[in-house]
Amino acid sequence: MQQLNTQHLRDYPKKPKQVYLFGTCIVDSFFPDTGMDAIELLEREGIEVIYPQGQSCCGQPAYNSGYKDEAKAVAMAQVKQFPLDIPVVVVSGSCGGMMRHHYLDLLGDDPEINNFCQRVFEFTEFLVHVLRLKPIDQGPKERVALHTSCAARREMGVHITGNKLISQLANVELVIHDYESECCGFGGTFAVKHADISAAMVADKSKNLLATDVVRYVSADHGCMMNINGALDYQKQSLRGEHIASYLLNRIKSNSSKGSL
Amino acid sequence: MKHIIEEESKYVASAKAFRANVTRDLGNEELRSNFRGAMDYLMDKRKGAFSSEDELEVLREQCKLIKQRCLAKLPHLLEQLEGNLEKNGIKVHWAETITEANEIIAQLIAQKKGKSVVKGKSMVSEETALNDYLEERNVECLESDMGEYIVQLAKEHPSHIIMPAIHQNKKQVAKLFADNIDGFEYSTDVDTLIQQGREVLRNKFCQADVGISGVNFAVAETGTLCLVENEGNGRMCTTIPDLHIAITGIEKVIEHLADVPPLLSLLTRSATGQAISTYFNMISSPRKLGEKDGPEEVHLVLLDNGRSQAFADEELKQTLQCIRCGACMNHCPVYTRIGGHAYGTVYPGPIGKMISPHMLGLEATTNLPTASTLCGACGEVCPVKIPIPKILLRLRQESVKPKSQQPQVMKGQGAGRNNVEALIWKVWAQVHKSPTMYALSMWGLTRFRFLMPKKLGGWTSVRTAPKPAATTLHQRINAKQKKTQQSQQERG
Amino acid sequence: MTNTKADIKAVSNTARGNILAKLKAEVNGADYKKLPEEVSFNYPKFSREENLAQFISELEKNHAQVIKTTKENMAEVISEQLKVLNITKLLYGENDSHREVINALDSKVDLQAYDFSIDNNKEMLFNECPAALSTSRCSIAATGSIVLWPDENEPRSLTLVPPVHLVIVDANELHADFASLMTSQQWQDKLPTNVVLVSGPSKTADIQQTLAYGAHGPKALIVLLINI
Repeated sequence: MQQLNTQHLRDYPKKPKQVYLFGTCIVDSFFPDTGMDAIELLEREGIEVIYPQGQSCCGQPAYNSGYKDEAKAVAMAQVKQFPLDIPVVVVSGSCGGMMRHHYLDLLGDDPEINNFCQRVFEFTEFLVHVLRLKPIDQGPKERVALHTSCAARREMGVHITGNKLISQLANVELVIHDYESECCGFGGTFAVKHADISAAMVADKSKNLLATDVVRYVSADHGCMMNINGALDYQKQSLRGEHIASYLLNRIKSNSSKGSL
Repeated sequence: MKHIIEEESKYVASAKAFRANVTRDLGNEELRSNFRGAMDYLMDKRKGAFSSEDELEVLREQCKLIKQRCLAKLPHLLEQLEGNLEKNGIKVHWAETITEANEIIAQLIAQKKGKSVVKGKSMVSEETALNDYLEERNVECLESDMGEYIVQLAKEHPSHIIMPAIHQNKKQVAKLFADNIDGFEYSTDVDTLIQQGREVLRNKFCQADVGISGVNFAVAETGTLCLVENEGNGRMCTTIPDLHIAITGIEKVIEHLADVPPLLSLLTRSATGQAISTYFNMISSPRKLGEKDGPEEVHLVLLDNGRSQAFADEELKQTLQCIRCGACMNHCPVYTRIGGHAYGTVYPGPIGKMISPHMLGLEATTNLPTASTLCGACGEVCPVKIPIPKILLRLRQESVKPKSQQPQVMKGQGAGRNNVEALIWKVWAQVHKSPTMYALSMWGLTRFRFLMPKKLGGWTSVRTAPKPAATTLHQRINAKQKKTQQSQQERG
Repeated sequence: MTNTKADIKAVSNTARGNILAKLKAEVNGADYKKLPEEVSFNYPKFSREENLAQFISELEKNHAQVIKTTKENMAEVISEQLKVLNITKLLYGENDSHREVINALDSKVDLQAYDFSIDNNKEMLFNECPAALSTSRCSIAATGSIVLWPDENEPRSLTLVPPVHLVIVDANELHADFASLMTSQQWQDKLPTNVVLVSGPSKTADIQQTLAYGAHGPKALIVLLINI
């Protein structure tokens, strides 16, 4: 996983007519609004979004737990769901990193897999580098913090693209929290297997976010947010994280109430 | 010939106690604050040590390739090193196990009738628990690195490979000195503490008959042992006593003298942010005829202790690229929280999670590779670009593999396998690779979401439980599409 | 503890055989020509003045004292430094290159040549030698390092044990960095018993990351820089 952040080496395609959306299992079952918002945002940019109903999970939970064969079976099933030669946009940096980098290791470096991996884009990466989105901010003045998941940061460079998107919002001030690049302590099964270490980490992360005195923090990964928001809720704090897809959509829609589809 | 009876490493038991150690140390607020402060300091130092990102990245690539070349030629370089050291008058010994290494050193000391040893910093001698071994044989062993000296007085082990006493603050050290040094004038002033330690240790250097040190780089081309240090105790141990014994792991050999400058530069900058250490000591022979000082005898003990097991696997072999700078632990959010002792192993932090399974077996260390979020901070700073998270993943795989599965890559393969967990993942894979099964399970999850328990083990000890949505993304998109089709039909 | 009389030579031989056999089984037939080409960073070239400035600044950052002087004034400078430090005895190496300097030192300074073996003289060396004077072979600008090349005349402990180390450094022997120095002097052909790079007085940050000088070796490093 060393320096897998190859954004600067990557050739980005021209703006496509169609894309696939990979929703991720967490978004599917817990945060479907995020998926709907991501679709709406892409559609507003004139892109047709195809959501294959056969998709499920990228396989990362099993892969990170050492169950390679199980991860492989699930990963292979995903690849089969995205046959067209169009981008696969993933609304999570962590799952995106898995599909873009680790599938080669897991499924073997064959042309079909390689082609698939090359088509995987993390959501903010896609907005910045492929759509070259320049969001027009319609929302009120606000300060927000940004938490970037570790895989998103180190494998997909999302701390750069996420930062760029937020910074383009005229009425939003981005506040950097202490230990911004430090892990929130989620780590999938780590949070269960080593619950006490994870608890110590999320305690620090939530403390550092609270210290910024923002009303909202933004992230491109629901894994981290499930962890951090869960901790904030437990602490009876009002601060919450919001997925960057929903956040951006809200900011650029003229009436800031969320449209339902 | 009598055989050596292999002793089990004392670290087997302490590594097995990882979970209990973690609970103990997470609850120690003073310890937590000592580590947080120290890690902030070291991260900051490293950050300021490179002229540009470019220099750093080229140096990392260069040093990775140097170490990979040296590992590719390892057996031949070891033979070349041995040949050149012997030619220079330095005797070379080989040990497969920690007990062999300890016994060799004990006998070398006994042959010289040595009674008192001063030691320079050597993590490999910690690995073999050499001090315990020698003390059982009535040889006094004194650690002379200030940090190691503190740790020895406290009857502890190093909590960090570069800064052994990083877990203690100056008040704790002052108390320790007060309890252990005769005539100690109580002070918490660091200068005063160091000066009092200096007095004690200088007397020992003057009197000791054996010096033991580690090795940072062993140069095959010239038969040279290189030591990196700031204090001067390493020079003392290798210069003043009559007998110098160096001990190191077999992976420390490098091919050329020209390989030294980039490795040294990256080592000190990654470790403490120093452009170079105060002393860089290159030893190529014992005292020669006419020379007025230096040891009459110099020995090198080359230790395997599980390294050849890592060497035998292309991926795990990268573990041996490590030059022991400690940057991975300095940047590790887990190490920062639990500190160095909780691991229960000689090498803590990410490097410890990678190397300890080879030394102690996966039975004792099965909790180490999983104690990581795979955040990648370690791999990002590793000066020789070891893909640490990837190696941890690999160790997790070895740990949950069926015990009998071939090939057997590691001692303790399958030690972390739990049949219930294995079954859960099997079922999970069945569900997630089949769209129908997945849809069915999601239907169940949303339908019965009120059944979702409020308590989810460790998760809910500090967090609330997440609630499944009433309708999944799959279902909502399906519904949206149906609606669109309907309205199109109506319009049509 | 039945181990005590195991034959360590036999143990070592067996271990050697086993370790090398295991390692060789893995590299068998490896083609070293196929190893990837190695890279290195191109450091900018610096002028003599820039190198000197870098050398001095690195040393001073590391708490060394740098005094620019000349061969002619050196005796006076050393005498003055010793006076300031209240030191009346100087240990020196019997090196022809600075014999004149030694002879010209303040007559109040008690001069002690390192003309003895360390054996049986350790107490004296540790307890009765407050300062030492040595030469250096060359120096390194990038890291502010002084290269000591001990020999019969300037033993290793001369520059290690006395609490104050005065070292003569010739600016004409300043090299840009360690790598170019080793290459230009072809160190791989002729390393002596011991070579030491010194980049400041002895120090430690082992207690609460607080720097303290004079951990074990010299508390003060005084660099007498000539031929600037």
